[in-house]
Order: sequence, then structure tokens, then C-alpha cells
Amino acid sequence: MIDAARLLAGWTLVWAFGIALVAVLDSAQRDPPAGSRMWTIGSGFFAGAFVVPVWMRALSLTGIRFSLLAIGLPVLIATVALGFIVLRRRAAAARHPLLAIDTSPTNTPAMSKRRRVVMYGLIAWLALRFITLLLDVWWTPLYPWDAWIQWATKARVWYSLGHIVPFGRSAEWFAANGSLWFDASPNYPATVPLWQVWSSVALGRWDDALMNLPWWLTFVALAVAIYGALRVHGFDALSATIAAWLTSSLPLANVHVALAGYADLPMAAYYTLAALATWRWSLERNLPNAVIALLFAVACLTIKTPGIVWALTLAPGVVLALMPQRGPRIVATAIAVVLLVLAVLAQTHPVVLGYRLHLDFAPSWQALVDSLFLLGNWHLLWYAVVVVAIVGWNVLRAPPLVSLSATVASGLLFLIIAFAFTNARNWVADQTTVNRAVLHIAPLALTWAIIVVQALLERYRRVPAPVELIAASQ
Amino acid sequence: MFVAALALCLLGYIVIAVPGKWFPSVTERASGVAQLTMPRGVATRSADELIVTRAAEDGNTVISLTTDFRALDYPVVQWIAAGLPVDARVALLWQTDVEPARVNKRTLNVESGQVQAADLHGDPHWIGRVVGLALAVQGMIDTPIRVRGVIAKPAGAVDTLRDRAREWMMPEPWTGASINTVLGGSDAQRLPLPLLLAVVIALCALIAWLLLCTRARNWRPGVASAVVSVALVAWFVLDARWTVNLLQQARATALQFAGKDANEKLLAGQDRDLFAFIEKARAQLPQQPARVFVVADADFFRGRAAYHLYPQNVWYEPYRNALPPADRLHAGDWLVVYQRRGVAYDAAKKSLRWDGDVTVPAELKLLDHGGALFVVR
Repeated sequence: MIDAARLLAGWTLVWAFGIALVAVLDSAQRDPPAGSRMWTIGSGFFAGAFVVPVWMRALSLTGIRFSLLAIGLPVLIATVALGFIVLRRRAAAARHPLLAIDTSPTNTPAMSKRRRVVMYGLIAWLALRFITLLLDVWWTPLYPWDAWIQWATKARVWYSLGHIVPFGRSAEWFAANGSLWFDASPNYPATVPLWQVWSSVALGRWDDALMNLPWWLTFVALAVAIYGALRVHGFDALSATIAAWLTSSLPLANVHVALAGYADLPMAAYYTLAALATWRWSLERNLPNAVIALLFAVACLTIKTPGIVWALTLAPGVVLALMPQRGPRIVATAIAVVLLVLAVLAQTHPVVLGYRLHLDFAPSWQALVDSLFLLGNWHLLWYAVVVVAIVGWNVLRAPPLVSLSATVASGLLFLIIAFAFTNARNWVADQTTVNRAVLHIAPLALTWAIIVVQALLERYRRVPAPVELIAASQ
Repeated sequence: MFVAALALCLLGYIVIAVPGKWFPSVTERASGVAQLTMPRGVATRSADELIVTRAAEDGNTVISLTTDFRALDYPVVQWIAAGLPVDARVALLWQTDVEPARVNKRTLNVESGQVQAADLHGDPHWIGRVVGLALAVQGMIDTPIRVRGVIAKPAGAVDTLRDRAREWMMPEPWTGASINTVLGGSDAQRLPLPLLLAVVIALCALIAWLLLCTRARNWRPGVASAVVSVALVAWFVLDARWTVNLLQQARATALQFAGKDANEKLLAGQDRDLFAFIEKARAQLPQQPARVFVVADADFFRGRAAYHLYPQNVWYEPYRNALPPADRLHAGDWLVVYQRRGVAYDAAKKSLRWDGDVTVPAELKLLDHGGALFVVR
């Protein structure tokens, strides 16, 4: 019980540090909109869970052994310092009439009783899911295959030795004569194993069930962040709660929490946060938002190898935001160049990021359809994305949404290219990695679809809907 | 509106899926693993599954059972088998009392690794009494095939709907494949629930549009609200099914692991024997990480053994059943051999011999649980 409390305290510290970090950036903004507090809390976890492993890397480089004191104390001091800055800024803002934040309840219209009941019902439903998944995380020792052949392998060695040691491929391992360690994927990024190391340090022992707590925290924080992001962008509390429920309900994401240990859910979370932060920046154009967006984009690179490509898919949205006139032409040209380069590369059979590229266009359509539309991985997500893309064509290309739409489109294009032209198509055919790759973009695609639907409904609502049909739909 | 559209969709499905009597007089007949025999191929029984690991010498695998039912009463046969390769050649074989010398064959489709049901309505050889059924798989088996049994179905309207509901509500416990795919119910589903609900939503949209376009010029907000409402209800239906599955799984996890400490959990886990052996091996290994080579026939055991051995400096072939190059082994290296054929130890000469007549001077340090630990001299 005491070690469980230590574990919770360890991750509470990381989360609090991240909240303080994001809050420092957010507190620099005037008039934070409704939901910004929830966005700060949700995204704060990801900021902390990215920066603390960076700190652990720094400790390792300087030869300081991992310990509660070495990792935790500086993080605690930084949290207190950042919290102090936030409080001082808030106090200053409260004193200054021009910077004062109006948080009076008259700002938000009262919610009807029926809507409130639905919202609290959904929150209870979400709580049930979170508790159920927490039990699985708490009880189940490391289970899925890749978790124990390429991710936790590093955590186990680094925790036991007290510092990061390099891993190498077979030939390098033999040549190193004991100075390199070996696992199935020695080149994988260190962030996720360092989460497990921090869990173990906080616990004070190796426990390959409890060390996976950050997967559950990732899942909860993502729901909170999405709620906050949508509130910031004008969603009411019920709509934002529905969005948080929908994104938390994706079955494959749930599996990746219950059977924690893969980096795909963290990848999905960081990519979603990076895209939402970039979108917020594209609308508000201020430095704090730019810093937060950049932080999460950089974090993508440290989670999984394809994080580099996911981070690059943010670029079209940035270009469209910076150059609304010439942007579409630049993005279209870039896509054409990418396709051309692909064609050229295909003729020369190179290997890029471990994926062999060649122009043998033979995607496994049937398996892809099974995976996206017929099996239980995604509920109705991909039906929704297809319908929203068609019905909402005019809305999603409009200035408020075009940046986010471009990111989602780029992400989907990346997946299509990978599945159609590379040896990744085998993963589609045998239903293995296909869904894990799709998971990277699934929460973002769903959030985007919800935002487009809301924009559509708002556009339609400018002319009141007939009362009898609303009644018929309930 | 949602309920009405769902009822309409199910009615449409019955019209398509039930060519025979909608209300037959018999109930379905299910045969589990206990009734199955294996005339060709190699398999082991694990709980309620037959795990087929190898085909017979001629490359064929046959799983059969003796039956006795009227063909006319049971026009649909469903083998519950999963893990088949996409290109597997799978067939249903049967014999009847009308043509006892004849073995009839119907090729079965495989989708997502699962055998699809055979609808034998109108087959000229599905007559009299069916006295034997078999599942035949042609070709070598690379990954294990899991067979749970076979069901002969009267395939009436109620049975068909009950089957679909059973497929949707079938518990989906965590397996090695769960991290890659969520099936959403049973291994084989003839009417995936997401597809049905998507059609229901489309139908609702159509009804809403028909209702509104005659009454109002601006029908879009009403149709959009209706579609969003119905879609949320449909999503909730899917999510409720999934949440029930999560709760069932949490209960199973609790039964297996709750109240145990980290070591006890591993001793109750998927590789308890291996873990017990590695615990003993770890006691023999030096405190400072040494080079430890792991060999085992199964990829699973190599990877798991390595995982349990860290932070020792472990090497193994993750994807190939191969031994380390003997010339790269040094004195002081360690070798863990776990359920690996072809590795022999000569205690008198204190040497190991393996594939390709390789000999390595080594000393046995531990022999236990199907595993052995050696130190290279």
C-alpha cells in the first residue's frame, strides 16, 4: 500500500510539474477562455511526461544515478517555482483592471436539467471505464509481446543499473563485448521505457504491472485535454463531455491501456495534443501556444520512430495558417512532390525508416475495410470520418478549420502511402500492426470529426430546425 | 426512430439471410472440443480449444466428429475456428447415410483468420442423415489454429437473430492478438454490429429527410440533428457492449492476479514454468551483468526468458530459432537452454554439442523445469 502511494505520488509530481509548465505559458495570455484550465490539466500531464524523461537523460549523461532524490527533487523544486510564477502572474492580473479575468458565472449560460443529467451520466460512464481499465493495469503483469521484447527491456536494464546504457543490434552487440545491451528493437526511442523507470524508482522496486500506471494516466489526461481543447474552441460543457466520452471509448485505445506497454497510445496522445495545440496556435497566433505546440511536436519524435513523420504532418496546417493565400498552392505542390519522390524512390528500392519503399501498388483493401469498418476496433469512427469529410467539405476547408483538416488529411495520406506502397501492407493483410498504426491518428481524427460536425450544426442552426424533427430524433 | 430503423434493418437481414423456413421446429446442435477427433495433424487441448500446431506428413489437417442429424433440419454448419492464414485452403467434409461411400466437400471462406459458415441450402448431397462432419485444412501450419467446435444450425429467423446477438455478445478475453485487433464479439461474425448500426443511421437519415423535405424548405438542421442523435445512440450501443466486455475481462484479471505481489503474479502468468526456472537461474548468475545467451525452440520462450533475465547482458535471436555462433562465445559467458531440441550435454567431457556438430566447452550449473543453465569454460 505504501509503495502504491509512492507510485501515485511520483506520477502526481510529474503531472503537477507539467501543469505548472503549461500554466506558466497559458498565464501569459490575456483572458483565457472557458476550458483553458482543463486543457492545462490534461496537456500538463503530457508536458511533464515528456520533460521528466529529458531530465532523466540529462542525469544519465552527467553520470548521476537514478534515484527518487536525483529525479524527483529538482522536478519538485521546478514545480514549486513555476507554480509561484503562475500565482504571481494571476495576482498581478487580478490587480490590473485590463488584465483581470472575468470568471463570473454570468459568462456561461445555465445548462438545462436534462442536459446536466446527460452530462453527469456520461461522466459516471467515463469513470466506470477508467476504473475498469485501472484495475487491469494494476493487476496485469506486462503482457503484450512487443512490450517485453523491445520496450520494457530497456526499462528493466536502466532501472537496475541506475542509468541509461546503450542498446545495439546483434553485430554491434558481439563487437562491443559486454558494453552494449541487446533487445529486439535496440534503436527505439527512450521516453516510454523511462516512464517505466520512473515508476520503478518511485515504487522503489521493479513491478511489471504497477510500472505501467502512466498508460492509464495518458488515457485519462487525453480525455481531459480533449475536453479542455474543445471548451476553449467554444463547445459547451455537454458537447465537450460527449467528445471526451467518444474519444475514450475507442476499443483499441482501451486495449492499449489495459494491456499497457506499447508506445502506440502515447504516440496517439502526443500527436493529438500536438495537432490541437498547433490548431489553437493557428487561430490565436501567440507565442505561448506556439511553444506548447512545438513542445508536443518535438515530443512526438521521442515516443516512436514514426513520430518524425507524424510531426511532419503538422507542417501543412502550419503553412496554411501562415499563408492563407498561397498556402493551399504550396501544400498541393508539396504533396505532388512527395508523390513524385515516392515514385522515384520506388524505382530504386531504398529502405526508409526501416520500411522498404517500392511502387507495387497492391493494398489489401478487404483487410483494411474489415479493420476499419467491420471489426470492433473503432466503433463507428471511420464511418463518421468518411461521412463528415463528404458532408462537411465546405466547412472543413473554411479558415477556422482548414489548418486542423490539413493535418488530419496529411496524417491519413501518410497511412495510405505506408499501407499501399510499403511492406507495411503485410500488416494490413494479417491484421497485426495495421490497427496500431491507425491508432496513432484515431483520437485526432475523431476529435476533428466532432469539431466539423459541431461547425456544421452551428451553420445549420442559423436557421431554426423544425421542432417536430428534433422531437422525432429523441 | 432508432428502434424502428433497427427493426427494419433486422427484418431486411432476415429476408436475405434465411432462405428456408423462418420458424423451424428443431434447435441447433453444438459439438465442443470433447467430441472432436484428429485423424490427421497434431493438436493439443487447452481449456475449450483445440490448438492445432502441425499438419500431417501429407500436408493435410483433418478434424472430425461423428454426427447423426437430418440434413434438411440443419442447413447451416459453422466451424468455430480461428488463426487460419488468409490464403488457407479450408473445406467442410461430410458423409450421409444416403451416400455412405461418398465424402462430400464444400470449400469454406476464411475471413480475418476465421472460417465462415457453410450454407448448404440446395446442395444435392446435403440429404438424408448426416453421419460425420470434418474440417479439412490443406497446407502447412505456420501459426497455431484454434478450433472450438462445430455447430449445426436450423437457421430459422429467431435462431439467426439469436446467433448474431450471441456473436456480438461473445466475451472477448485478452489474448496475444488483442493488442492488434478487437473483433467486437466472436471470432466469426456474419453481420458485424458496426455495419448494422451504420446502416441504421443511414436509414434514419433517409427517414428524417423524407419527413422533413416535404414539410420545410430548410431540412438540413433537422436531418443533421437527427443523424447526430441517432449516431450517438448507436455509438452508445457499441460502447455498452464493449464496456460489458471490459468488466468481464476485469473480473477474469482479478481472479488470476488480484491480491498477488509482483513475483506471485508472474508465477500465475502465461509463462509460470519458465519464470520459475529463470528465478533459479538468476540465483546462479553473477551480480554484475554477464553475457547470457538464450536458446529455445519457441520465439515466445526466447523473448520471455531474456526479459526475465535482464539486467543481465542477454542475447538471443528474436525471430529465428538459431543458436549463437560458437566462435563468438567466450569463457565466462552463460547459456540458458529452455525447451530446445538439438542441444546435448556431455557431462563427462563437460561440453555442449548442438546443430552442425558444434562443440562448446561448458559446465552445467542448473537443470530444472525443462531448462538448463551452462557457463562456458
